[in-house]
Amino acid sequence: MKILVCITHVPDTTSRIAFTDGDTKFDKNGVQFIIGPYDDYALARAVELKEQSGGSITVLNVGEAETEPTIRKALAIGADDAIRINAFPEDALFVAKQIAAVAKDGGFDLILMGRESIDFNGGQVHGMVGELLGIPSVSPVMTLDIDGDTAKISREIEGGKEYMELPLPFVAGCQEPIAEWKIPNMRGIMSARTKPLEVKDPTGDAPKTKVSKFELPPAKGDVKLVDPDNMDELVNLLKNEAKVI
Amino acid sequence: MKYYDPQTLAFLLNDVHKLEDLLKKERFAGFDKQSIDLLLDAVKDFSDSSLYPFVKEMDEKPCFFKDGKVIVHDQFGPIFQKAGEMELIGAFMDEKDGGMQLPLLVFNALYFIMEAANNHVTGYLGLTAGAANLIVNFGTEELKKKYVSKMLEMKWGGTMCLTEPQAGSSLSDITSSAKPTDDGTYSIKGQKIFISASDHQFSDNFIHLVLARVDGAPAGTKGVSLFLVPQYRVNADGSLGDYNHVDVVGEFEKLGQRGYCTNHMAFGDSGESIGYLVGEENKGLTYMFQMMNEARIASGRMGTGIASAAYYASLQYAKERPQGRKRQSSGKKDPSEEQTLIINHPDVKRMLLHQKAIVEGSLSLVLECARYVDMQMVSEGEEKNNYHLLTEILTPIAKTYPSEAGKEAVDLGLQVLGGYGYMMDFILQQYLRDIRIISIYEGTTGIQSLDLLGRKVTMMEGAALKLLAGEIESTIKMAMSKNELKSHAMSLGEGAKLIETCLAHLMPHAMKGNHERYLADATIFMDLFSTVVIGWQWLKIGIASLDQDAAFKQSKLHTMDYFYKYEMSRCKGLQKTICDDSEITIKMEAEMF
Ligand SMILES: Cc1cc2nc3c(=O)[nH]c(=O)nc-3n(C[C@H](O)[C@H](O)[C@H](O)COP(=O)(O)OP(=O)(O)OC[C@H]3O[C@@H](n4cnc5c(N)ncnc54)[C@H](O)[C@@H]3O)c2cc1C
Ligand SMILES: Cc1cc2nc3c(=O)[nH]c(=O)nc-3n(C[C@H](O)[C@H](O)[C@H](O)COP(=O)(O)OP(=O)(O)OC[C@H]3O[C@@H](n4cnc5c(N)ncnc54)[C@H](O)[C@@H]3O)c2cc1C
Repeated sequence: MKILVCITHVPDTTSRIAFTDGDTKFDKNGVQFIIGPYDDYALARAVELKEQSGGSITVLNVGEAETEPTIRKALAIGADDAIRINAFPEDALFVAKQIAAVAKDGGFDLILMGRESIDFNGGQVHGMVGELLGIPSVSPVMTLDIDGDTAKISREIEGGKEYMELPLPFVAGCQEPIAEWKIPNMRGIMSARTKPLEVKDPTGDAPKTKVSKFELPPAKGDVKLVDPDNMDELVNLLKNEAKVI
Repeated sequence: MKYYDPQTLAFLLNDVHKLEDLLKKERFAGFDKQSIDLLLDAVKDFSDSSLYPFVKEMDEKPCFFKDGKVIVHDQFGPIFQKAGEMELIGAFMDEKDGGMQLPLLVFNALYFIMEAANNHVTGYLGLTAGAANLIVNFGTEELKKKYVSKMLEMKWGGTMCLTEPQAGSSLSDITSSAKPTDDGTYSIKGQKIFISASDHQFSDNFIHLVLARVDGAPAGTKGVSLFLVPQYRVNADGSLGDYNHVDVVGEFEKLGQRGYCTNHMAFGDSGESIGYLVGEENKGLTYMFQMMNEARIASGRMGTGIASAAYYASLQYAKERPQGRKRQSSGKKDPSEEQTLIINHPDVKRMLLHQKAIVEGSLSLVLECARYVDMQMVSEGEEKNNYHLLTEILTPIAKTYPSEAGKEAVDLGLQVLGGYGYMMDFILQQYLRDIRIISIYEGTTGIQSLDLLGRKVTMMEGAALKLLAGEIESTIKMAMSKNELKSHAMSLGEGAKLIETCLAHLMPHAMKGNHERYLADATIFMDLFSTVVIGWQWLKIGIASLDQDAAFKQSKLHTMDYFYKYEMSRCKGLQKTICDDSEITIKMEAEMF
């Protein structure tokens, strides 16, 4: 089976987030980048599927050269080769078009992504890629098993779960508990150095959206401790200060 | 939760100890900087997810002995499996022996991360690696084939069995015996106590490396041989055979490291324990000592790891705990003002700075030693010998300073928490109990100090000492041209002179045969020597920090200033004590106590 895993290169969840250039650009200074956590689940499941039934895993990232250490990590975890589309990922449609261009003639049986990126949390790319390729797209996928040409999946839906069967190929946006994150072993890390990483030019499509401004959420107020015997004060605070009742 | 600083570790590896120069050597060609970064990252992930969350529980639910078997915390199962899969056990060993030829510099950095996360774990891994390494270096091909790979996968555990009830520091008094049998093996008999990691439910077999005396061997250290004694015999096809009568007599209840089992083992009590000679007869202690250098550096590293975890735990507390108010210029405090955080009190800052200075200085020294071992491995002739000598002289210091000063650091960490530090709910009390062992096993501080002053300083007519002095001198030279560092460079030079003064004073005693006087204050000499050595490491850190971004550089330079003002300044007093001829300790007769 041939699996394509699309990964994002995103700030570590503990990073201090700041903006520059009149709040239009993300400040990368001192920020540690990681594989998007949901993409990491997708990759982990791909490695398991490959262990079960053989095949190959290609990782794909749309990003500039700085994303290569992140791609190497994916290779260390178990991908066989990698493609980097050399472009800044301006918006979801632009990224989706890049992915679709690679996938179109790639002969992939399965395209795995995260349910959403954790920087911009759009949750759009998988849907767009499915549409561009004319194949199904499902998200968020919590379990995924392959039986011949068919996949059995379960999805989280409002208030419950949905079980589905669908034919290969398709696009899946993955989330836990589809697999446990994999930590690369030393041999994997060493072999990642020599695994192929192909850099491709982007398609001619231009991004259609532009960020005009970023804004951080307002700082959280101080905590006020209310004595458990003093319910009147609590009600007063909720009503007149927090204005929630 | 933070238990070490990844940025500082990367800085020490790359900028202070020049990892990239090491990676240019052919032996290490399998790695580049990016792969080392990935490796550090992978071990951090492993430590964050599988080690740190269990450190407190391993103390609260310690290992115990039941029905002849030691039971350790459940989490050890998945930890051993993952560590084996990640190939963390024998990564530093040669590829031909199943290792990865990872530089020891990096290997030690990885283990430091794991130890800072959870110091109850790495002993199991380290002893297994150490035992496997002994087999690889001195064992026959057959022993290598049969035992090593399973150990490196962490399927079989390895141990070091030296200590006996009457032979702790004094290994020449070992009495365990080895009787040659007709088929070239030996029948082993004896009691070994305080044997770490020698039994648990997660290994099918334990491979014990045992010091014992062949019947008729000469007395003293020259009659001690090394044997491989498996708990279960191993068939020719690698499968497990009969029980080899290595009995676990009991498990010791301890002050700290309660997840890391320490057992009483009996060989040949319940039936025959077959042992296989490793290397030649009567050379056991020499082989063991080669291994012990690495184990001693590892002990220092573990002390550093625990002190690092304690530092970050107390730092976080200090940033959150409001207590007291700052004095205003009138000298009064304003009770209506909100309380300040304790991190704003100079005395709390002193306690934090002290910890930081010790942790980072110790870590730098441990890594320096590891780098010397690497360099020894990749060089030839005189250069190789020089690195060997440098390792020899620094090893007792790398074992002792992090364990002794580390103990003090953790104690200050606890103090930062005030009364909460004394409570079982907070982890500082555990770290203090955990670190207490480091200055005892692998040779006590007393024994390490005798080794430094009695053997290492004088070895090959002081050649090791001269080489180290040369290294220190070249750091001083580099620092003299930098304004921020000049005064410290001069202090370091003075510190080095104080060591010379002591030796010039003590040597005549040794020449006259008064060895007791020469060695009586060896531990004080260790204190002086190691303080100077850590001052040297801080100066190296200072030099390398000049090229770093402003905030990082300032943090390092300031901590270096602390070390020089508060620690290097003690050297003069130590020198005075060492050169004092009143022989207070010698003259205190036993009945005078
Ligand atoms: C420094 C930086 C600056 C950015 N600036 C902008 C900006 O100005 N405007 C903007 O709209 N977006 C920006 N992005 C976001 C980036 O364009 C997004 O990754 C992309 O737009 C996808 O958006 P999304 O959140 O909808 O992804 P989602 O739809 O949430 O992603 C779902 C999945 O699609 C896959 N995927 C998404 N992006 C990629 C990719 N680049 N390569 C491979 N697979 C991918 C992953 O598997 C992911 O889990 C920036 C990202 C970074 C790191
Ligand atoms: C938790 C734990 C784990 C251990 N794990 C192992 C293991 O895996 N394998 C193993 O073989 N051993 C192990 N040991 C044993 C350990 O190495 C010894 O305890 C240690 O070497 C000290 O020996 P001892 O306990 O007999 O103390 P002693 O040798 O009796 O020392 C008592 C005191 O006297 C001092 N002293 C002794 N001789 C001299 C001297 N000549 N000059 C000056 N001072 C001296 C010492 O410094 C010490 O302060 C372990 C011990 C512990 C507590």
